[in-house]
Amino acid sequence: MSVYSFFIFDRHTECIYSRRWVDKHLNASNRPNSSALGHGDVPATAKKAMKDRDDVRSPALLPTNPPHDRSFPDSAANFIAIIVVQAKLIFGTLFSLRRMVRQLGGSEDQFLSYRTGEYKLHYFETPTQLKFVMLTDTRVGNMRTVLYQIWATLYVEYVVKSPLSPTEHPGGLGVANELFEGGLERFIESIFGVPQTTQ
Amino acid sequence: MATATTSKASRMGEEIWKTRVDKISAEVLTLTYGTLVAQLCRDLTLPNTASQTDYLAVNAELDRMGYAIGLRLIEDFLAKSQNTGHCSNFREVAEVISKVGFKMFLNVVPEVRGWQGPPAGEEGAGGPVAFSLVLEENPLAEFVELPDDGRAQDELWYSNVLCGVLRGALEMVQMQVEARFTSDVLRGHESTEMRVTLVRYLQDELPADDD
Repeated sequence: MSVYSFFIFDRHTECIYSRRWVDKHLNASNRPNSSALGHGDVPATAKKAMKDRDDVRSPALLPTNPPHDRSFPDSAANFIAIIVVQAKLIFGTLFSLRRMVRQLGGSEDQFLSYRTGEYKLHYFETPTQLKFVMLTDTRVGNMRTVLYQIWATLYVEYVVKSPLSPTEHPGGLGVANELFEGGLERFIESIFGVPQTTQ
Repeated sequence: MATATTSKASRMGEEIWKTRVDKISAEVLTLTYGTLVAQLCRDLTLPNTASQTDYLAVNAELDRMGYAIGLRLIEDFLAKSQNTGHCSNFREVAEVISKVGFKMFLNVVPEVRGWQGPPAGEEGAGGPVAFSLVLEENPLAEFVELPDDGRAQDELWYSNVLCGVLRGALEMVQMQVEARFTSDVLRGHESTEMRVTLVRYLQDELPADDD
């Protein structure tokens, strides 16, 4: 079991926290797992071919997904840009999916997760419209309670109750404090066993 | 149905109060809040005077502080009252505020009275929707006497922070409300009563366009 990435979106639809982990199991060459997103629904064989190609072309850190991103040079600024793009994509998906779910299943209905051939996206939304999202490999079971715990025991305790953090978090201000990040790290470790390397 | 909600909410309030809430001495709260209001009364004075308190400004400031508290408090409330489920109408909201919310944070259960609006389940029908919370006990106002300057009795809402808290907390769960005190035993009224009026349900915010 491994975790790929984690995002929090606030009620203003902004991504206020994101975090990614390198997946050691997936690939020994230390290629970031973000490819899990991009190669989403590609069959395993094709995936393998793509992987090989990727490894030749960009052996270092730069992932990744939407094909047009691949032409970008390999730099930290780009890496951040890619995360921003990913966060936007994910939010867009959530937004539509959540609408669809409510139209089909009634206004109380929520979706819990979806999976593709390569990754699984877990989702939890609080009544205050904070959205917690986690991407893991496909073998991982229901993570709703885990996301709930992250909200109730880490986010509420260390972010909401922190006198130093602002009430709203434009640009993620005040969310990524030491207590919250440390707590998240330990919690993820306790669930996924092996220490996950932060990217 | 209303009674079922009521008893469920009271049971839950009791349960949470007993098991999940860190408690402090009520007097610490009372005295801290008293000091805060007293300081505001000293700081906020009418223009061109040094000692005449602008009580309306004090009310506004208390409301503003409460609003900021409410925005955060709601997260703690929701985290502690898990499994509540959504309130399907404003009547349930009133019950949960009084039986769970006030119980959790102040250990009092104000009575919900003066319901105004369409019958449960027909909120969409329009018309104002409002209720009153009658505080039998008010932990904020223990040991309090309003200043005897002839104006405080008519202008100051001593516990106005509570209005702000409700306004802030409900805004976070997509309800815009207006909350104000309509009577206060400190002013010599029979009871302490707040009126909460639903302004509208807020819609989800849409993501901004990319370009």
